[in-house]
Amino acid sequence: MTSINRRTLLKTAGSVAGMAAASSVIGTPLIAQSRSLKIGSYGGYFEDSFKEYVYPAFTEATGIAVESVTQPNSTDWLVTMSQATAAGNVPADVSLYARDTMIKASRIGGLLAPLDLTKMPATSNLDGYFIFEDTTGAIGVGAMSWFTAMVINPNEVEAPASWAEFWDSSKFEASLGLSKNFNSQFLDIVAATFFEGAETFSTKDGIVALVEKAAEIKPNVALWWSAESQMEQSMKNGDVIGGQYYLDVANLMALDGFPIKPIFPKEGNPQDYGSWCLSAISEKADEAAEFMNFASDPATQALMSRMIGTAPLVDQSKTDLTDEEFAMVSGAPSIKPAYEAYLDNETFIKETWEKMLAGA
Amino acid sequence: MSVVSEPSSAVPQMAAAAAAKRLPLARIGIWAVTLFLCLTPFLLVIAISFGQKIEGASWEWAFSFANYQRVFVGANWPEEFTALYLQKLYYSLYYAVIASVLAVITAFPFTYLMTGLSKRAQSAWLVFILSSLSLSEVFIVMGWDVLLSNRSGLPMVFKATGLTQWLKDVGWFETLRDWGLANPRDVKFKTSVFATVLTMAYLVWPYAVILLYPPLSRLDRSMTEAARTMGAGPWTVMRTVVLPAVRLPLMGSVLLLFVFLLGVYVAVTVFAEPAKQTMAVSVYEAVRGNTLNAPFGSAQAVILLLTAGLFLALGQWLTRRNAS
Repeated sequence: MTSINRRTLLKTAGSVAGMAAASSVIGTPLIAQSRSLKIGSYGGYFEDSFKEYVYPAFTEATGIAVESVTQPNSTDWLVTMSQATAAGNVPADVSLYARDTMIKASRIGGLLAPLDLTKMPATSNLDGYFIFEDTTGAIGVGAMSWFTAMVINPNEVEAPASWAEFWDSSKFEASLGLSKNFNSQFLDIVAATFFEGAETFSTKDGIVALVEKAAEIKPNVALWWSAESQMEQSMKNGDVIGGQYYLDVANLMALDGFPIKPIFPKEGNPQDYGSWCLSAISEKADEAAEFMNFASDPATQALMSRMIGTAPLVDQSKTDLTDEEFAMVSGAPSIKPAYEAYLDNETFIKETWEKMLAGA
Repeated sequence: MSVVSEPSSAVPQMAAAAAAKRLPLARIGIWAVTLFLCLTPFLLVIAISFGQKIEGASWEWAFSFANYQRVFVGANWPEEFTALYLQKLYYSLYYAVIASVLAVITAFPFTYLMTGLSKRAQSAWLVFILSSLSLSEVFIVMGWDVLLSNRSGLPMVFKATGLTQWLKDVGWFETLRDWGLANPRDVKFKTSVFATVLTMAYLVWPYAVILLYPPLSRLDRSMTEAARTMGAGPWTVMRTVVLPAVRLPLMGSVLLLFVFLLGVYVAVTVFAEPAKQTMAVSVYEAVRGNTLNAPFGSAQAVILLLTAGLFLALGQWLTRRNAS
C-alpha cells in the first residue's frame, strides 16, 4: 500500500471518477481558523485524495482546519515519530499506521496516546477488531483497509476454487507472481489453506511447517515481486498468469481491459488495514477525537471506498455502496494476518522464509 | 620558503612566520572537513553494525558481534547453521566478476577500432557514449525488462517467428524448461542469471569504453605497423603488441567495474530470482524493509566493503607482480 507506482496507477484510473472536483489548495493550513489538526497519511495519490475529498468534508462538518502531513509509509514514519517524540516536537498529531507498525509503536512505548472512545460514538460502527487496545487503553482506530487478493489471467486459466490449486504444477508451472516479503501475507494464505490459520504461527515448528509448505510452490513461481509495479507489468505482459496482488488495483486494471481477474477463493484473501493513532505529546486530543469520529462514519467510509479504493471497515449495509462498488474494494471471507507472531518471531520468520527462497 | 631565502629582512620573516602559523590551520581545516565527509558515513555504519535488534520493535546501540556472526552462520546458530548470507555474498561476487569481465572484453575491440577512426568520428562516438551515461540504472533495467518480456520482447519474437514451436518440435524446449528459461507456453528470460549479467554488463559498458579509450588512443600505432610490415598477422599483432601494452589498464578497468557492480540493486531485484540475489539487496531489505534491522544491514555492508577491499588489494598485487 506504499509504492508510488500503485498511486500512479490509481491516479490515472481514478481520475475518471472526478479529479476535477476540487482544487489542490484545500488541505493547506488555514491560519485564520482557531482549531486545527495535523494529520499524516501516505504521500502521493493517497494523501492527495485525502486532501481532495476527506479533509474538506471534515472541515466543513466540524470547523477544524486540517494540515496534511506526508508520511513515506508506516515503518519509516515510526522512526521519524519516535525521534521527534524524544525531541519533544512532533510533525503530526494524528498518524496513519499499519497494524504491525502500531503494535511495534505500542511495544516501544511512550509514542501513542490512549484514546477516549466515548468522544467518538461513530467508532461503534466498526468491527471491534479494528479498535486496537494495549495496556494503556485504545490507541488506534481503524481508518481503512485493503485486500491482497488472488488474481489470475482469465484468458489463460479457469478461476481456482482454492489457493491450493496454485500448488498444481500441471497448471501453473513457472507462471505465478508472489510477493517476496516474508510478512506480505503469503504465509497467512498457506496457514488458512493447509493449516489452522493464525494459530499455526504460535510455535516455531508451526512456522517451519508453513514455510516448508510454501517451499513446495517454488517451481510454479516465475516472479517473487518486491515492488508492486513488477507484478503489475508481469500480469500485463503475460509473464505470469496468476498470483497475489492488491484487490483494488487489480479491479482498476481489469476495468482498463488488462487480462487480470481478482478471485475470492474459498479460504478468502488476506485483509490488512491502517489505523489513526494520536501522538503521545500532541495537545490536540479533542480535535483528533472529532476527526476519528468523522472518519468512522459510514458515509466517510463509503466516500473513501469510492474515491481512494479502500475497503470500508463498516458493514456494507450501513453504507450506501452498491454491490458493484463494494466488490471493487472488498469481499469475503477475509484472512486476518498473524501480526503479533510476525513481530514476536521477526528474525526467525524472516530468516526461515529467506532460506526457503534461497534454497540454502 | 622566504625565511631561508631572505634571512636579513625582518619584515618578510614575520610575514612568513604568520603565514606558517595560518597555513597549518587551513590545512588542518581542509583535512578535518575531508575526513569528516569521507569517514563519518563509514564510522557510523561500523558503529551501527555492533547494535542490537529488539524483536518486534526497532534496534538499540550496543557492542555485540552477533550481527557479524549471523552473516556467517545465521541467526539460529548453533541449533541451526545456514550459509544464506554467504550465498548472497557469493552471488554479489559472481555477477560482478562475470559482468565486469564481459563488459571489458566486449568494450576492448570496440574501443580499439574506435581509436583507429578519424578524430571527428572519435569525438562523436565519445560524446554519444558519455551521454548514454546519463541513463540511470532504473531506466536501463526498465528497457531490458521490456525487451525480455513475454508480450513485448524476445519471447514474443520467438513465438511469432515460429522458433518456439520449432524448439518444441525438436525437443529442446524441454531442456530450456529444465534450465528455467521456459514456462509451458513460451520461452522466458526473466528471471535468469543470463538477464542479470547481461543488464549489468550493459550498465557498465560505457564506463569500460571511457576507461580504455585513453590508453588505447595513446598506443603508438607505428609499433603495430612495424609488426605488420615484419609479417605478423593481425591476430599476432593483437596478442604480442597491443594486449601486452594495455594489460594494466585492462586489469584496472575490470577491477573498477567489479567494485562498481558489487552495489548494483535494481538490476538484481528485477532480473535475479530470490535464490540468486546479492548482499546489496539483503542490506537494503534489512535496513529498510519491515524489520528495521539497521545493525544487521550495517554488518553485511561492512563485510561487503571488506570483500571489495580484499579483491582490490589482490588485484593491485597481481598487477604489480605482472608489471615487474
